[in-house]
Amino acid sequence: MRASLFITCYNDTLFPETGRAVVSLLEKLGVQLDFNPKQTCCGQMHANSGFRGEAFSQAKRLVRLYSDTETIVIPSSSCVAMIRDQYPGLIDELGNDSLRKDFAALLPRIYELSEFLIDRLGVEDVGAYFPHRVTYHASCHGVRALHLGDRPYRLLAKVRGLDLATLPNVDRCCGFGGTFSVKNAEVSSAMLAVKLHDVVSTGAEYCTALDNSCLMHLGGAMHRQYAGMKTIHLAEILASTEASPAEAAR
Amino acid sequence: MTHAAANHPVLDPVFAPPFPQAALPVLRNPQLRKNVAHAIDVIQAKRAKLVAEKTDWKELRSAASAIRAHALENLGAYLEEFETRCTAAGGTVHWAADAAEARQIILDILRQENASDVIKIKTMTSAEIQLNPFLQAAGVNVFETDLAEIILQLGEEEPSHIVVPALHINRSQVREIFARRMGLKDLSDDPHALTAAARAYLRQKFLTIPTAISGANFLIAETGGVAVVESEGNGRMCLTLPRTMITLAGIEKVLPRFKDLEVMLQVLARSATGERMNPYNSLWTGVSHGDGPQRFHVVLLDNGRSSILSKPTERQTLKCIRCAACMNSCPVYRQTGGHAYGSVYPGPIGAILTPQLMQMHHAQSLPFASSLCGACYEVCPVKINIPEVLLELRSQVVNQERKDLARFFDPMYLGLRIANLLFAKAWLFHSAQFLGRIGIGFFTRKDGWIHALPSVGGKWTQTRDLRGFPKQTFHEWWASRGPAPGPALSKEAR
Amino acid sequence: MSATISAPGQSRQRILDRIRLATQSVAQSAPQLAETCEALPRAYIRHGALPSQARIALMIERLREYDAEVVESTPAALPSVIAAQLAASGKHIFVVPPALPAEWLAKGFDWKIDNNLTTAEIELAEGVVTAASCGVADSGTIVLHHSPAESRRVLTLLPDWHLCILRASQVVETLPEYFDRCQQQPTLATTISGPSATADIEMTRIKGVHGPRFLHVILVRDEI
Repeated sequence: MRASLFITCYNDTLFPETGRAVVSLLEKLGVQLDFNPKQTCCGQMHANSGFRGEAFSQAKRLVRLYSDTETIVIPSSSCVAMIRDQYPGLIDELGNDSLRKDFAALLPRIYELSEFLIDRLGVEDVGAYFPHRVTYHASCHGVRALHLGDRPYRLLAKVRGLDLATLPNVDRCCGFGGTFSVKNAEVSSAMLAVKLHDVVSTGAEYCTALDNSCLMHLGGAMHRQYAGMKTIHLAEILASTEASPAEAAR
Repeated sequence: MTHAAANHPVLDPVFAPPFPQAALPVLRNPQLRKNVAHAIDVIQAKRAKLVAEKTDWKELRSAASAIRAHALENLGAYLEEFETRCTAAGGTVHWAADAAEARQIILDILRQENASDVIKIKTMTSAEIQLNPFLQAAGVNVFETDLAEIILQLGEEEPSHIVVPALHINRSQVREIFARRMGLKDLSDDPHALTAAARAYLRQKFLTIPTAISGANFLIAETGGVAVVESEGNGRMCLTLPRTMITLAGIEKVLPRFKDLEVMLQVLARSATGERMNPYNSLWTGVSHGDGPQRFHVVLLDNGRSSILSKPTERQTLKCIRCAACMNSCPVYRQTGGHAYGSVYPGPIGAILTPQLMQMHHAQSLPFASSLCGACYEVCPVKINIPEVLLELRSQVVNQERKDLARFFDPMYLGLRIANLLFAKAWLFHSAQFLGRIGIGFFTRKDGWIHALPSVGGKWTQTRDLRGFPKQTFHEWWASRGPAPGPALSKEAR
Repeated sequence: MSATISAPGQSRQRILDRIRLATQSVAQSAPQLAETCEALPRAYIRHGALPSQARIALMIERLREYDAEVVESTPAALPSVIAAQLAASGKHIFVVPPALPAEWLAKGFDWKIDNNLTTAEIELAEGVVTAASCGVADSGTIVLHHSPAESRRVLTLLPDWHLCILRASQVVETLPEYFDRCQQQPTLATTISGPSATADIEMTRIKGVHGPRFLHVILVRDEI
């Protein structure tokens, strides 16, 4: 099984440990992974900010970059949602026939990480060990755009030593929303406070999710407020073993 | 809560402050936020229970969405059919191109009737056209009859929700308003007592004022009928007792057939108030001899709706049946309440409807007043893809604004333009990452975190830290580890 | 936007023209329109699956959830059940629609038959008794079409106490079934699902703002 990793612009810059964990995890599972060094960004930030033309040029670039790729794995549900939900409109409106064709061929080959593990590889138990109390935050794109359902929970259930604490209001938005977090910083912070209250109430040591965007937002508040909790991407939990615990890999 | 004049929220999109600014006083008001959160939690819980119980909820939503979309696509034909049948049944149909015309038509009718007093059923459409102040200025006394609307009218407040407009006001605040304005010094704050006070206050008005103004939940093309959905009975009072009835309705309110109500009523009651059916629905057709008003006028209002109709992505905005499920589910609305939206239509639907009714000349901050979480779309009974419309409107606002030279140096605009250039070439992106890592190093403290950033970044660090940029990007790590190792090597690579 | 009033018909034409332009790529022509409307997806539940006993039981249960008082009666016993309800109410003056069956007007009460009663006269009544057109069990809804046995709308609105006689044969399970039964669309209709209520103050549901605070229903078992 071969697959290509689209790391996402913000993971590349800010959360390389998530990428390293994805690599370690997938290679352990027998996937021959490659990485196209020309990749940059899917265009979500621009699309959500109203910069359609710019978003389109990034979309076009991504489609062309992966036109010959069999399978693409992306450890970010919001980026996958961008490709599935917004690329069709952008490409239809601003692209040409050849691009539309390439995109149509590409679309079914794109997987968010948990989708890839469960739907493509057919695994739930990835041999992970993470002896901590963990709570899972269901990112909006994962829930409502990708309809991931119980995939993350099925993966978490098989992690040895992990004590999963249910998060109240699990699918309530954390308030990040991309540029919303700075354009509407006060409202974003108010939403964050509500979410953090729920997260901290679980008594967990770690808050995990499938999107580092949410985790960056939550983790930033946790650190500021000495919450005694940390955030960690689900990939890092799944890549964690006795021999190579997640903390050491960060 | 009574606002001092300075704090009185401005619900005119032309004058309202931008959303981020308008939200500030609310965010600093724990009582208000508590009131809002309590109210929407109650409705949401009730709604969720009933939706779970309704095994054909998905199918109802699909039908509701299809019926509304079909009605909009054929709006001209259905409006004309409604007009023909309503007129044949003794009603008079007027067409108002904009708010000013609608107000004048209504005033003209009232003058014809020599009406100096009018009783009103709650209608957001009348708030949209700012009818009350116009009529008051023309010497007509307007008496709201919905409990929430009375609270707002007597308390000189503004609505903050389209179904429960006074949800930001708690019982002791209501008590204060009623005691003061109704002269009831010993009034308790028990909701039963408050409601009884309202009932007594209104009774005489219902029995004596011969002219009423209503909105319409639905206009039925097939029969020329009008449907009003309510809970309190004040609607029935206004629709039955007066001599003259004026119904103001947006042109988008039309349904093709009487039978379509079987879908709309099921989804509306559950979505709006979390009930299987609301207490009273009234349906009437023109004028009925011996029963109810003998003079009936419908004022059909465009006021920007035909413009929304013309845009394929935005047209779905008009499917709205004003259930408010979107704002009940919205995590942003939960924090800010309705006034922050600067419009009688707040929340997610307001964020797309208000700027469009303003032809995108005002309320440009509203499409950005969302984290795009999608909760609204999930609960919308007519499947308006609000996030999709928000994104479309964002691009329209940006296209307008970027023409303005002053925007060129706006940090957000400049930043996004530069980012786009950087993303176009991997080497540019990587160089930017490298330089960024160095630059951000200045702000990174010994614990590896950033606590304060300048400019736009400062908006982040107001309340959040940011972890310092790692020393190595993912792609640098990938390049450094050489050819893809087998499982044994992966350990070392880490 | 100035307050100029166009000549009658001018705005109408302008609006319809705008609408026509806005929808020209999607609007249907007249013959197609009806067909398309017919073909819209309606995969929701049209007919209930409950047998008659269960349907009636559901109707009663839902009515009671709204704090409506419900008693049952056979057709033969109806006049006496009505009399008992009236006696239990403690009220004396009742308004009734003109076509209410005479045998329902129990003795010992002051009956005001609505032959164009004035509002003031109706206000003096303490209660109203009517028939109904339909009951929808799913939501505990009573539908009035304001026929001569169901009264003008004002009659079921002003008095504080409403006794409604609903026949089992009039009860359907689902709302779509009610619409199916409407051979002709009613000109006037009022649906009643419990007494009036408001939740405007802190979401506390308070009964009886306007309209009868007390709803009593007699379910007549007229089905075999």
